[in-house]
Amino acid sequence: MSGNPFDDEDAPSAGSDEILEGFLCPICRADLKSIDFLTEHFARQHAEEEDALKSVFKDIFSKAKKKILNNFEDDRNRGALAGVMPTASAASAAGGASAAGAAGGGAGAFRTQLNIYSNMAKQSVGAERSYLEYFQSVRNPRLERYASETNKLIIRLHRLLKDLPTDAVQRKHHEQQTVPWLDGSSVKLCPNCAKSFHIARRQHHCRLCGGIMCHDCSRFLQLENAMQLASLSSTRGEPLQQMRHHEDRAIRVCQHCLWLLDTRQDMHESRTCRPMLVHVYEEIRQLQKQVSPDLDMYVKIVNSLLDGESIFTIADAGALRGKIGQVAEKIDLRSKRILTIHSEPGSRDEALKKAIRLSCVQAIKERMLSLPPLPDEALISQMQERRRMETEQRILTEQRMAMEAYERYGAANQTGINTEHRSFAQGSDLQSLNNWSAPQASTTISSVDDPLIEQINIIKGYIKQARQDMNFDVVETLELNLRELQREVYERQRRSSTPQLDS
Amino acid sequence: MNLISGIKLYIEKMCTESGPGMKIILLDKETTSIISMAFSQSDMLQREVYLFERLDSGRSNERLKYLKCIVFIRPTKQNIQLLANELRNPKYSAYFIYFSNIIPRTDIKYLAECDESESVREVKELYADYLCVNPNLFSLNLPNCMTNLNWLPDALKRSVQGITAVLLSLKLNPVIRYRAGSQVAQLLAKLIYDQITKESSLFDFRGNADGAAPPLLLLLDRRDDPVTSLLHQWSYQAMVHELLQIRNNRVDLSERPSVPKEFKELVLSGDQDDFYGNNMYANYGEIGSTIKQLMEEFQRKANDHKKVESIADMKNFIESYPQFKKMSGTVQKHLCIMGELSSITNKRNLFEVSELEQEIACKAEHSAQLQRIKKLIADERVSIDDAIKLVALYALRYERHANCDTSGLLQIIKSRGGNTQIVPALIEYAGTHVRQGDLFNMVRITDAVKLTRILIKGLKGVENVFTQHTPLLKETLEDVFKGRELDPLYPAINSELVPFRRPPQEVVVFIIGGATYEEALTVHQLNNAGYRIILGGTTIHNSQSFINEVLAATNGTQFKHTKSMIKYCSPDNL
Repeated sequence: MSGNPFDDEDAPSAGSDEILEGFLCPICRADLKSIDFLTEHFARQHAEEEDALKSVFKDIFSKAKKKILNNFEDDRNRGALAGVMPTASAASAAGGASAAGAAGGGAGAFRTQLNIYSNMAKQSVGAERSYLEYFQSVRNPRLERYASETNKLIIRLHRLLKDLPTDAVQRKHHEQQTVPWLDGSSVKLCPNCAKSFHIARRQHHCRLCGGIMCHDCSRFLQLENAMQLASLSSTRGEPLQQMRHHEDRAIRVCQHCLWLLDTRQDMHESRTCRPMLVHVYEEIRQLQKQVSPDLDMYVKIVNSLLDGESIFTIADAGALRGKIGQVAEKIDLRSKRILTIHSEPGSRDEALKKAIRLSCVQAIKERMLSLPPLPDEALISQMQERRRMETEQRILTEQRMAMEAYERYGAANQTGINTEHRSFAQGSDLQSLNNWSAPQASTTISSVDDPLIEQINIIKGYIKQARQDMNFDVVETLELNLRELQREVYERQRRSSTPQLDS
Repeated sequence: MNLISGIKLYIEKMCTESGPGMKIILLDKETTSIISMAFSQSDMLQREVYLFERLDSGRSNERLKYLKCIVFIRPTKQNIQLLANELRNPKYSAYFIYFSNIIPRTDIKYLAECDESESVREVKELYADYLCVNPNLFSLNLPNCMTNLNWLPDALKRSVQGITAVLLSLKLNPVIRYRAGSQVAQLLAKLIYDQITKESSLFDFRGNADGAAPPLLLLLDRRDDPVTSLLHQWSYQAMVHELLQIRNNRVDLSERPSVPKEFKELVLSGDQDDFYGNNMYANYGEIGSTIKQLMEEFQRKANDHKKVESIADMKNFIESYPQFKKMSGTVQKHLCIMGELSSITNKRNLFEVSELEQEIACKAEHSAQLQRIKKLIADERVSIDDAIKLVALYALRYERHANCDTSGLLQIIKSRGGNTQIVPALIEYAGTHVRQGDLFNMVRITDAVKLTRILIKGLKGVENVFTQHTPLLKETLEDVFKGRELDPLYPAINSELVPFRRPPQEVVVFIIGGATYEEALTVHQLNNAGYRIILGGTTIHNSQSFINEVLAATNGTQFKHTKSMIKYCSPDNL
């Protein structure tokens, strides 16, 4: 009992404590003894009840999903799931392919869910406490005060520089007009260094705030810098060039004003500073980001190939591998280029570049070079062959069992002939799952105007295009869609041909 | 309850909160070790952290305005001052500041006033303030925590911070119990309790809503069990620490002559090295056979690769190069360590010494043991340190024995030129007058249950003579989980939280005076049995560091209990 988790799933669907086994009709729960009886019964009795069937299957599959999520490590589940699948597909063969499709989609969805599930069992981050609000409440008022002060200075600077005369006397006049100078008659000591003023130590004025200081405490703002700060273009450069003395080419300011302006310039720079290194680095990050879904996809494709599935081809894997290789080369190239950018030996800059290069090399080695190699073509065809054999084997045993059951229960004679035909049809149906192109060839000629066929052709076109663009996620979903459609087409053909046989 | 993921999650958080872009991380001495225990450099590179720098390194003023800066420091006065200087003159474009513990508001205000160029983007407390050695073991790297048999003030403060951080990072608001009669444990309990009450909003975890018993913080004193830290241990991690010393998960082999150059410093991290992670609790013999298996596996792989014939083969070889290299590195590393261990074991005659150590610790056979000790410590092949340890164990066990002959043994040590001061110091530190619990199973006849248990133990016989001894901690923890009455031995400081006769689900044990790897093994075994225990200590001791601690702790005390050994007490008796 406990070995097969689906055993106890049968109980609620049977509606009683007793466990029913065999080929049960999912709606009326009658035991039909063989697949063929079941399909026939279903086609006759429940043809209009597709929705009911869907809901039953949805129910079973959601339960199965839950079960598997709960003990997904148990390998036996996979066996159990495989055991259920044939009955499901046989029943849905009559009821419409959409239910099986939904179930298949569900299976795919929960497989990816498993990983998330196992990651979610992690520990949560410990306690923390943020002081940012308090920090800002202290910092921001101060900064605002500085900001308004700095803005005032810049406006003054702008006015000062706008029509700065080259002549020294005129210049002094202009400066005093823009910024009123403090009256120095009562100031006996330099406010900054507290040394007394006399003949040798004269009073000077800050051109931006008008404050008084001695020469030693004065700072000078170069005109080029000043122009930049006042966001004036330096086209008026020629008259400035004419000023002979070094001091003439600068503006005398006090320490505080200079500091305010410097801070402003600094902040501006740090926000706009984007040297070559940053550009190349961002390219590398971009490439790494682009390539990471490809890496996962490649592993998925290789695994799918090794499982013998036919959604992807070996050419897909090869193409994707080539693409990854190209990206790896690009990253390598860029990280080398970073190394060539000049920097002082022994500086942080140099250490940074080396670290970036190291991390690129590591990333390439660990994520890209360690990818599994392309699988052998022979190996893959072998795997596909084996998978097909397994499927066929399963169909054969089912048929044999059905026949045995049929003989044992000795049913009416006429249906026996039908079974012969049907079981053949059944076999080829399931075969077409693996090799869908075979029935396709015949149908395209006969019924081009069928909207389903048209759709199939369109999708095939899309797949081709997606392959070229290496958009393998799309390829996968389209392939699955295509299969569903083909199954549907096949079903229709079969259904339309069955009455002919009967008559 | 995993300490390593506790730290990792915090660091992960720092890296993600600072957003994309190149980053530098500024650390102090202690946070450097904290990070290095959880992450390797390449782990940090993957998270875009390219540069590591010490806040106190005082390097050049080189500005890199295109770098973001993560600051992760302990909230010490000195660090705050250094950080304030950094903020006044910022070298990087944005600062994300994380303190590893609770920081006073005034310090935040001071820093805010220094941030004149608006470069700070985040200020947070993230409680990664302990060294995670194993998932269930933490250390605070305080090799000496006592002087004159009382707390060193700095060590006390650091212990309070460390334990608070452990509780916060695991989101526990525990019942606090301390070892009755231990002054140090009581003081620590009180300070932790004060801290929790003061920061009650931080400790408001609504985890106990479902009526589960609250977690337990158990503060123990190393002096209850001095034996475990003196014995030679045979489990891998403990043995490496005893013979080669593990410091911050690193083993320094540069002094050993036979070690190849690339193995001068080895990192032993169960997190990054699967072999170590799986085998750190295995014993010496088991490790040997596991390494042999690993070698065979490795050789098989190596042989596979030797069959490189075509170009395609070579390509395959290079493509699987990272794993190949990783695996060969692991094998060689552990082979190298095992080689060193076995050569030391043989040289120091450790099998014989260890057997006698275990006998003394587990069985009371005074006269027979005394004869064996006398014989062994006179043997020149036994190192003087091992000889002193044997005498120390004897002195602890037979302190009150009528025919106790510690003085006679010390005379032999003295004649070999050993430092005899250790033994009286140890008795002062952890003699019977201090100890609680029954370290040597000296049971009164009245305690029927315990007596039967010991009898049964005796009947079962000894499976392995080198691992007979189990740490006292095991018994203590079993009492805790069986819901026995704890109050007389371990009173609770916040008794309003104590549930009525329900054992706690989670226990954090902290040993003042240092834990040992052997006790970590005990905790690991109990955790495997379904309990949830974290062990911590002021440091992780081996016998040598324990003896050093004992000497430092008894420094300046009047020796009252060792009058008979008075002539061996002074340090300059050589």
